Amino acid sequence: MPIVELQKVRKVYDTKVAVNDISFNIEPGTMFGLLGPNGSGKTSSIRMMIGITVPDSGSINLFGQPFTRKNLHRVGYLPEERGLYKKMKVMDQLIFLGQLHGLNATTASRRAHEWCEKLDISASIHKKTEELSKGMQQKIQFISTLLHEPELIIMDEPFSGLDPVNATILQDTLVDLRAQGRTILFSTHRMDQIEKLCDSISLIHNGNLVLSGTMREIKAHYPRNRVEMLFEGDTGFLQHPSIEEAKTYSGRAEIKLRTVDGVAPDAQPLLADAIQRGTRINRFEVKEPTLEEIFIEKVGGKVDA
Amino acid sequence: MHNVWLIAKREYLERIRTKAFLFFTIIFPLLMGGGIVVEAVTSAHARSTSHIAVVSHDQQLATDLQAELENGKDNKMTVDVISPPGTDTRGILDGELANKSLDGYLWITPATQSNARPSFAYTPRSAGDISTKDAVSSALRTVLVRERLAHQGMVASDVNSLMQPVEVDTTQAGKNADTTSTFIAIYVLFFLMYFVIMLYGMNVARSIIEEKTSRVFEVLLATIRPEEMMAGKMLGVGSVGLTQVFIWLIAAILLTSTPLVSSIAGGHVHVSLSAMQIIFFVVYFVLGFMLYASIAAALGAMTNSEQELQQLNMFLVMPLACCFFALGIIVTNPNSVLSTVLSLIPFMTPLIMYLRLSLTAVPMWQIALSIGLMLVTIYAILWVASRIYRVGILMYGKKPTLPEILRWLKYS
Repeated sequence: MPIVELQKVRKVYDTKVAVNDISFNIEPGTMFGLLGPNGSGKTSSIRMMIGITVPDSGSINLFGQPFTRKNLHRVGYLPEERGLYKKMKVMDQLIFLGQLHGLNATTASRRAHEWCEKLDISASIHKKTEELSKGMQQKIQFISTLLHEPELIIMDEPFSGLDPVNATILQDTLVDLRAQGRTILFSTHRMDQIEKLCDSISLIHNGNLVLSGTMREIKAHYPRNRVEMLFEGDTGFLQHPSIEEAKTYSGRAEIKLRTVDGVAPDAQPLLADAIQRGTRINRFEVKEPTLEEIFIEKVGGKVDA
Repeated sequence: MHNVWLIAKREYLERIRTKAFLFFTIIFPLLMGGGIVVEAVTSAHARSTSHIAVVSHDQQLATDLQAELENGKDNKMTVDVISPPGTDTRGILDGELANKSLDGYLWITPATQSNARPSFAYTPRSAGDISTKDAVSSALRTVLVRERLAHQGMVASDVNSLMQPVEVDTTQAGKNADTTSTFIAIYVLFFLMYFVIMLYGMNVARSIIEEKTSRVFEVLLATIRPEEMMAGKMLGVGSVGLTQVFIWLIAAILLTSTPLVSSIAGGHVHVSLSAMQIIFFVVYFVLGFMLYASIAAALGAMTNSEQELQQLNMFLVMPLACCFFALGIIVTNPNSVLSTVLSLIPFMTPLIMYLRLSLTAVPMWQIALSIGLMLVTIYAILWVASRIYRVGILMYGKKPTLPEILRWLKYS
């Protein structure tokens, strides 16, 4: 039974179609990535899942039931635009938000302390929220969505605005949570980020579902037709007939090979050609296309991010 | 309900801990108390203790005046009698004025005709010393009347009893509250309502706007309903206002009942209200505040910034101002159909109904109806406000037009 089930969900704001007949499922215990450029309808979809707005048509099931507010206590939501009470002390704030999610004050306080310890912000818990750095505030918000130990964690752009160190800490935490059997949905416009994190994804563009499935399915569907090369010397090999498209930088080339009849092309002749020309090869890697490349291919390169 | 309570509690505790709250709560009674003390002290000083001279050819008149000014009801002056004046008297007195040993002198010139009054000229040291001048002229009037009456052959005791001040006792049939204290209570209610609504009603609106700018609302809306949030805000911020008002009221009661103040003010400060009036005062004040706070919540839901809110705050002040203008109609005829209708309009009920209750016997059903109507209105306004809020936040950044707001009401 999927934890989240969207069936032909549609939402129109005035004249703009924000979400156009989108359907997807999220299986329990998986990490799901909702991808798409800015303004593609990610936040609109998420808001409908947690009942902030209601779809114009289509249905949304959470935990196998039609939406009820009672189920919201099983969901942790981190909105894209972070919001905390600026003047409130960190610990008071966490306890308050925990209570709103149905915890009693003692439990909320205990869990908040544990989390603060874990994310290394224990020293700041008696400060006012506005006195903290943005990264710290984001950690607090992150904790506030997890205090009530939700089965479904929904995070809208969780890593935006974080430095790499903190982004890694939060990523690792999410991976831990999945290992504990929680279901995680997060959205991002940074597609490179989720390749290694997600079990399955949905790609949306202008409110339309462009691509959906598990990472394995998607990658299997796209042949390994990319080559990344680091080289020195002659660049004549770039004219090789097996190359459909190539981007060259100094000493580096990203190559897309010509696919014939859906069969993954062989990169061997290209390598041979380069060696024959005396080009020094420091790296030669055959890969599958990145999500970003797939996305661009799908929407015809018209991404106004 | 639990969520409303949580929101209200947070709002209340956060606000009551601020320095601004503490400051206002303490400084306001201090200012009021200070004002009362200053006024009491100055009015006590108004019982003039000036030192003046009375110059007259008529020794009897001069000594009567001296007696009135030195030991009369409102005076405690020092009066020198110079009778009859010498040729250098005026020069000496002017000299005494200049060296400040005298505050002024009254020069009485006898009448040239037998039946006419003498003429009086008062020369003060400082032209601003109005209270001494007033004391002198009112003492003169008393003395002259008494003298004239005695002249007509009236006995001194008759003269005194004739000149007793008149006290009018106003007692209404079936009511024992006197009108003065009723009016004081009405003005206090009006002032309190106005003050608290402007201060805390606007705070309800502000705190809703704050939630939008700090973007906390999205976290909240993922767990609670907008109407719960609105109600929580209103109750929380409202309770802060009520706490403050009750602290002030208690301070005021303590202040006016202390022997110190009543002795300074001469024992005239007392407002007598019946227990029933106090209950209605509290009920209508609380309901009135909630009603106006719910309007403020709706205004907060519609706007995105403090500036926009300022433009709309007339919606809070106008109904209140209307009440004030209507007071006259009610006072002249508290039982007319117009008065009854006005007192049942929820926005006007708190002031108008309270006034009618103090003036006349209002049927029970009207009281019940007025309270019922207010409660329904509060609920309706909150319902509308939460609709506007829910849709409004998703379209922030743009000021909604009236047709848009009406359309939002249809969204769920």
